Amino acid sequence: MVRSILVPVGRLSLYLVVGAVAALMILPFYWMLITAVMPAPDILAFPPKWIPTRLTLEHFVAAFAKAPWLTYYWNSFVVAVGSVSCSLLFGLFAGYAFAVYRFPLQNFFFLLILGTLMVPVQVTSVALYIQLSKIGWVDTFLGILAPNFASAFGVFMLRQGIKQIPVDVIEAARIDGAGEMRIVLTIIAPLIKTTVATVAMILFLGSWNDFLWPVIIINSADLRTLPVGIALFKDPYGNINYGPLMAATLISTAPMLVAYVISQKYMIRGIALTGLKG
Amino acid sequence: MTRGSKMLAISLAILFLIPAIAVAGAAKTITLWYPAGDITAGAAHFGDKALFTEFEKKYNVKVEAVALDYDTMQQKIFAAAAGKNIADILFVDDSWMPGFLKEEMLEPVADAKAKAWLDAVSPEIKELSDYGKGRMWGYVQYGIDVYGLTWNKDQFREVGLDPEKPPKTWDEFREYAKKLVKRDAQGNITRVGYAIRHVGQPHGIVHKHFWAIYGAGAALVDDHRTLRGGKTLINTPGGKAALQLVLDMLDVDKSTSLNFPDPRAAFLKGIASMQISETVSIRARQPKEAPDLKWGMALPPVPKAGDKPATNLGGWLYVVPKLAKNKAQAWQLIEWLNSPEKDFELCKKYNASPRYKVNWEKEPFKSDPYDQGLKQLYPYGIKLPINLGFNGIMEATGNAIQKVWHHEASVDAALAEAERLANKSIADATK
Amino acid sequence: MISERRRSPRQVLARLHSRHVLHAYLFIAPVIVLFGIFRVAPSIQTLLYSFYKVELLRGRFTFIGLENFYSLLTDEIFRKATVNTLTYVTTIVPISAFLGLILAVLFNAKFHLKEFFKAVYFSPMVTSTVAAAMVWWWMYNPQFGIFNVLLKLVGLPEQPWLMSSHMALTSIIIFSVWKNLGYNMIIYLAGLQAIPPQFYEAATIDGAGALRRFRHVTIPLLAPTTTFLLIYDTILALQVFDQVFVLTGGGPAGSTNVVVLDLYRQAFERYNFGYAAAEAMVLFLFIMAVTILQYYYSKRYEVAY
Repeated sequence: MVRSILVPVGRLSLYLVVGAVAALMILPFYWMLITAVMPAPDILAFPPKWIPTRLTLEHFVAAFAKAPWLTYYWNSFVVAVGSVSCSLLFGLFAGYAFAVYRFPLQNFFFLLILGTLMVPVQVTSVALYIQLSKIGWVDTFLGILAPNFASAFGVFMLRQGIKQIPVDVIEAARIDGAGEMRIVLTIIAPLIKTTVATVAMILFLGSWNDFLWPVIIINSADLRTLPVGIALFKDPYGNINYGPLMAATLISTAPMLVAYVISQKYMIRGIALTGLKG
Repeated sequence: MTRGSKMLAISLAILFLIPAIAVAGAAKTITLWYPAGDITAGAAHFGDKALFTEFEKKYNVKVEAVALDYDTMQQKIFAAAAGKNIADILFVDDSWMPGFLKEEMLEPVADAKAKAWLDAVSPEIKELSDYGKGRMWGYVQYGIDVYGLTWNKDQFREVGLDPEKPPKTWDEFREYAKKLVKRDAQGNITRVGYAIRHVGQPHGIVHKHFWAIYGAGAALVDDHRTLRGGKTLINTPGGKAALQLVLDMLDVDKSTSLNFPDPRAAFLKGIASMQISETVSIRARQPKEAPDLKWGMALPPVPKAGDKPATNLGGWLYVVPKLAKNKAQAWQLIEWLNSPEKDFELCKKYNASPRYKVNWEKEPFKSDPYDQGLKQLYPYGIKLPINLGFNGIMEATGNAIQKVWHHEASVDAALAEAERLANKSIADATK
Repeated sequence: MISERRRSPRQVLARLHSRHVLHAYLFIAPVIVLFGIFRVAPSIQTLLYSFYKVELLRGRFTFIGLENFYSLLTDEIFRKATVNTLTYVTTIVPISAFLGLILAVLFNAKFHLKEFFKAVYFSPMVTSTVAAAMVWWWMYNPQFGIFNVLLKLVGLPEQPWLMSSHMALTSIIIFSVWKNLGYNMIIYLAGLQAIPPQFYEAATIDGAGALRRFRHVTIPLLAPTTTFLLIYDTILALQVFDQVFVLTGGGPAGSTNVVVLDLYRQAFERYNFGYAAAEAMVLFLFIMAVTILQYYYSKRYEVAY
């Protein structure tokens, strides 16, 4: 089965183009990286220096000293795991229902779920905050998780993925006497591994980098998630803290890169194992 | 239960337990919210854990100072107040005050205490603290902002100007800028004579051009001490002249450029010879960012000789929200932190200008050249209007300035629109 | 799966439908309930505010009917924000989807260092928008930023980027394309990998070359993915906020002011929460309309298995 769509321009030109664009894509990261490791006078130098005169870890040391990173990591991790696992589980079932069943008010409910994406979170955050303070969830993990127990994106995408499964498969399972719940968990889920992995990756990223809601709901320093903690390195009126800020950002970003690599390996293995794409 | 459901149940159980554990064992704590970063050029000390130990021991209370992101701080304060779940003390930008007052969010300072403060502090602090008829809504922090003209002495010398003589009139100002601007072989400007702030939040743009607007006789609002009512005086010959000044420097003199977005950074990097903004921030940043820079500080120039200079005063305030849970302790802390003794101790430690008249008489403030230089600027400092329509006025004016300097509108058209929008904002605020 | 074979299972399913209605509601219950409490209720609350003069902190709500909306009609700042937002959306959504598709097709093939390059193209997604925007703000700086340094290096004229009211929005668009590329790419990749190879085999047997296979097999079968992406990207793009907030704050001269930014200012700087809610309402109705349109339009192109 031929997968490559290499037009007769030649492999070399392909590599050149891909490589050049990749270099541009990664340029901001290059800047982040060298700013994090170059001495402060270099950062402020004019004309700007693009190759550091020497390498230093002073910004990382400063960043590490200035903030309780372990706490931030842990908080971000708890929130992300909680939010992603709930969203995947609930989204799987809901996606299945929307993809396979026909039931009254189906379109209404689907639009309702989609509708939650359509009102800007900047303003709904206030109404939600008021609601949560009434039940004492302000400044708690539950508070951070509250709007993130499920994900419209998750439902939408999982529904899309499940729709592509041949009806025969589901029918066969039913004929074999499997209950609906078992079908979803043991038959459907493995079949859409790639979709699940993709959704998991994107949801995890979203949770890890979520800033607006955590910043509103979190008051205590020991509940801060990474983005909230990093924002404190910002210096709106002075530029001198780019060093520690970039170090802080890199510290926060590193795990995500690792998670990405892991998820990609999982996806590849998933495809190879099931033989069925998707 | 399926494996998935079991895992879910366990995770949820853990999540429910964690807050329960956290809540256990709470002593009386008062919370203080302040913005993170050097932005306040004085609040850096809230990170110092030893700051409050004396107070905590004396009053048997725990103080928790929480840093917040400045950019989203207003939103957070608003949500917290709406949810009735707000800190006991807030350390805020004085330009946020009209908004808070409009929503009746704050607790005023007790009359007797206010009178004592106003009598004991120097005139510029009094000016900033008084919100009309001796009413105070918070205590002004030390190290207040006053805007001044700063110039690069070496660059003055380089082009044949006397490094100790800053420009005093607008004509001199333009002449100096023309001499100081530097270009490369292609004719691009590599150093501006005067750096202008023309991008970013409209408030900031107005702040940096305040000196010209007021210096020329225009004003953001006719009475800057009333909360309600009044009208803007921006669309006047003075206002037009103020905008025209920089427009001429851009188009006619070509001594400045729109490509130098951050006046202070440009100044510190030596690519701007003059700029007008908070002097306290140059003083704080220069030793680290430009150790070799020799700079001077003076009043901004005036339209013609004999005019009265104008500059802006701004500062940070300690305020107590009405919905705070521990108001009594909050005021105790604020009064303790802002007592004459603490004022002296902290200003000496953090190299800031004090507030109490008695402290100005003491060393090191008495002989410090920077502080004494500030004293020259203070008398001409004008506080920002406390009008409840403040935000609208600032946005309208800032947008007008931006449009004019970006050549998107003529001076007359932009100011006419600004006048209309500003007056609308003032009117809306009184409804 | 050709439509012929489908009739029989479909008929079976139809008979079983009533059995599954209970299951259906059970399965969507967690999402509906949780969303209902934590997202729908606050959203409805917020939208309702648009009919009131809201003094949230004083707890005073005065019903003023459509007054906020009348004010919106004459608000030229809001009008400009709408135009900017629409410009942004109509530019970025097609570009992102198109580039995402190209990249997905590329990375579906096998070549040396594929995983490495794929990670590079995906990497912008890994950072938060705020952090990335801060980096780009600095890179766009006309004096110190790397973009102008590079332009100078190749002999092109330096650009004002975020400083010019003519270029600022474009600069933000460039940033957003960079940021969202990875997202579009992996969604399309997932969609591509879901296409059973039989279709390609059949097409090859029929004598179709690579390009024809792409046009007649890949694209149609990717239609659901394309629909999803277009709808989702549009919904998000219409609410763009973070990068504008960080990069320009809406300026210069309102050239990058977008609806959500304007609404944010109204709510948290002017304390006109009711007015902000009205803006949110208008935005919501617009997004809903566009989404429904896109959805029904796409149904015509969706190919079932």
